[in-house]
Amino acid sequence: MYANTIPPEMLINGILAALLLPLFSAIVCLIVREKYSWLVAFLSPLFLMVSAASSVYVCVEMWGAPPASFSFAWFLIGDQEMQISLLLNNTSALMMLVVTVVSFLVHVYSIGYMADDAAQRRYFCMLGLFTFSMLGIVATGNLLLLFMFWELVGFSSYMLIGHWYEKPEAADAARRAFIFNRVGDAGFVVGLMAVWSGYGTFNFIDIDPSAGGGWQVLAGIGIFCGVIGKSAQFPLFGWLPKAMEGPTPVSALIHAATMVAAGVYLLARVYWVFAPPVLTLIAIIGSITAIAGALAAMGQFDMKRILAYSTMSQLGLMVMAVGMGAPSAAMLHLVTHAFFKAGLFLAAGSVIHTLHQAQHHSHNSFDVQDIRNLGGLRKRLPLTFIAFVICGSALAGLPFFSGFLSKEAILEATLTWAGNTASWRWLLAGSAIVVAFITPLYTFRLIWKIFMNDERLTQKLNVVEAPVVMRFPLLILSVASLWPVVSFNPFDFNGWILHDLGGSSQHLFPWLSMASAAWIALAVALAYVRRSAGIHAPLFYEAFYFDKLIHRTVEVPTRMLALTTRHLDTKWIDGAIHTSAYAYTIVAHVVGWFDRFVIDGLVDGFAWSARTIGYSIRRFQRDGVQLYVFWALFAIIIFIIWTLL
Amino acid sequence: MTPDYELLILGALLFSVGLATVIIKRNMIFVLMGIELLLNASVLNLVAFNRIHNDAPTGQVFGLFVIVIAVCEAAVGLAIVIQVYRFYQSSVPDQINDLKE
Repeated sequence: MYANTIPPEMLINGILAALLLPLFSAIVCLIVREKYSWLVAFLSPLFLMVSAASSVYVCVEMWGAPPASFSFAWFLIGDQEMQISLLLNNTSALMMLVVTVVSFLVHVYSIGYMADDAAQRRYFCMLGLFTFSMLGIVATGNLLLLFMFWELVGFSSYMLIGHWYEKPEAADAARRAFIFNRVGDAGFVVGLMAVWSGYGTFNFIDIDPSAGGGWQVLAGIGIFCGVIGKSAQFPLFGWLPKAMEGPTPVSALIHAATMVAAGVYLLARVYWVFAPPVLTLIAIIGSITAIAGALAAMGQFDMKRILAYSTMSQLGLMVMAVGMGAPSAAMLHLVTHAFFKAGLFLAAGSVIHTLHQAQHHSHNSFDVQDIRNLGGLRKRLPLTFIAFVICGSALAGLPFFSGFLSKEAILEATLTWAGNTASWRWLLAGSAIVVAFITPLYTFRLIWKIFMNDERLTQKLNVVEAPVVMRFPLLILSVASLWPVVSFNPFDFNGWILHDLGGSSQHLFPWLSMASAAWIALAVALAYVRRSAGIHAPLFYEAFYFDKLIHRTVEVPTRMLALTTRHLDTKWIDGAIHTSAYAYTIVAHVVGWFDRFVIDGLVDGFAWSARTIGYSIRRFQRDGVQLYVFWALFAIIIFIIWTLL
Repeated sequence: MTPDYELLILGALLFSVGLATVIIKRNMIFVLMGIELLLNASVLNLVAFNRIHNDAPTGQVFGLFVIVIAVCEAAVGLAIVIQVYRFYQSSVPDQINDLKE
């Protein structure tokens, strides 16, 4: 529950600036002419910089202050007033900061990455819209409005994943992402209806969970369905790895701040709505996703797909944490994850970009994203290497990095939830621990294959470090992956963020940080020992064949159904319509014939008979005066004879 | 039969000849001549009836009138024929059919 206080005007201006500048940037990109498209690459990051600066200001001002909300009337349905409302508390202010900062860095990075792209204006426009929609989700205090921004996020991600739509894979990936999200959103809509039925309002402030009754469970499940789609949870995760077809900065944005983060954020935002059984479901789904993602990441060879599956796994951890009653731990991990995952993607993008450039100059083509082709790049790309190692260490959860602390917070929540007595809950807690073990394995493997060893196919290429606009975001994100982001004590996750997000204030498991550090050290050691072993695991590579299963069980039957209905439509429904059309035509012809020959014939017949009679009568006076006289005479003679007789 | 009736028969014959001329002849001048014959036949009739009903010279006066009118008619008719001939280069009534149809 949130209290309702009106923030000072300066703060409102700051909030509005942070919120609307990305939209403004998108509009500017739409307006700018083709000739001046270089302006876009300059203006968009500038707007985003101002937006990020205002959100820093807002976050500093808001931090620790009571939640601020303001709203104004939107429209009326009957006597129910819908409101456009903004609701800012610590969580959303922090999220706003993360979104704008990451988005700003991605914008800057894109200047370099997309420098040669022909559709730069569309790209930056959609980037702006994407950021704006995500900020809308973050800031709004109304579930209906949130849903609209939610859909906008889906749309702009569709546009961005399919940015290179000439490639069939990219177009397919974009469609897949969109459709998977639609499936989840169908559940979300049901959840919205349940919220309306149960609580009679969409405003977060007015929702009273105790008033919902039976609707509460349905609302929770419905909203979670939306989260499953958006955050790539267990049944609907297939789009996330495929979405790697988009430009790499977009992947960074999707994975760090704007797209998948929305789901976890929503869970934390309306946490109190979820009934206990729904929370259990959330925890189970989260743990399945975490394990599946981590194992699938082990089996990949494409560096972006490894990162994608790792995102899925980390999201599973966050969702699980929410399900286990620790939304603040989930938010903490979301924030740290946003920075180090954006850093990882941008670093990977930098590798891809530089190798592409080098390939372009030497006319040597191989798949630069396949880590089997790479190796030994640490000397060629030192800065990218360092950034990759720092962000990767944060992902793996090494001590002194932000990921270590946030993961520990999640682990603690897991252990607290599992309780002291052995039960099925230990299974879920165990899955979190296993994921914490697997994460360093694939992260280490990824870094090792790309940067260590000897060079393979890249030997002959002239690889040079990416331009400064691409190095600068890497630097910032690397710094943001260090421990002070979370807490000044590198072994105590209860820092300034978690405390003010409303997390626990005491250590329930004092041994946890040492134990997890040892656990992760063990994982890294194992990864080092097995560093040269090639992994051949088709089960993991195909992500447990789940995609294929969905393809077989859902996509193929749906397609069949669509084809059948099309067949029915064209053959039978259209056939019936055509038959009736033919019947009408025939009837019309018969009626036309009747009209022409019977009715018109009758009229013509009268005319004809009148004309014929007229002709025959007219003959008497037609052929000259003398005949006329003759006939007159003839008639007189007849009359005379008549009278005489 | 008194000679008066012979006069009437002569008038009837003259009338018949005139009528036949009016109907049969193609040329307009002959038609006019036929009309003259008709008029003359009627004048003869008037005079003959005046002889039969011998009380006043009404029939003879009527005959004079008819002769005068016949003169006028001939003058007007011939004038029309000449004008028609000038316009159409023809004096056959069957060929003058501009108003037909």
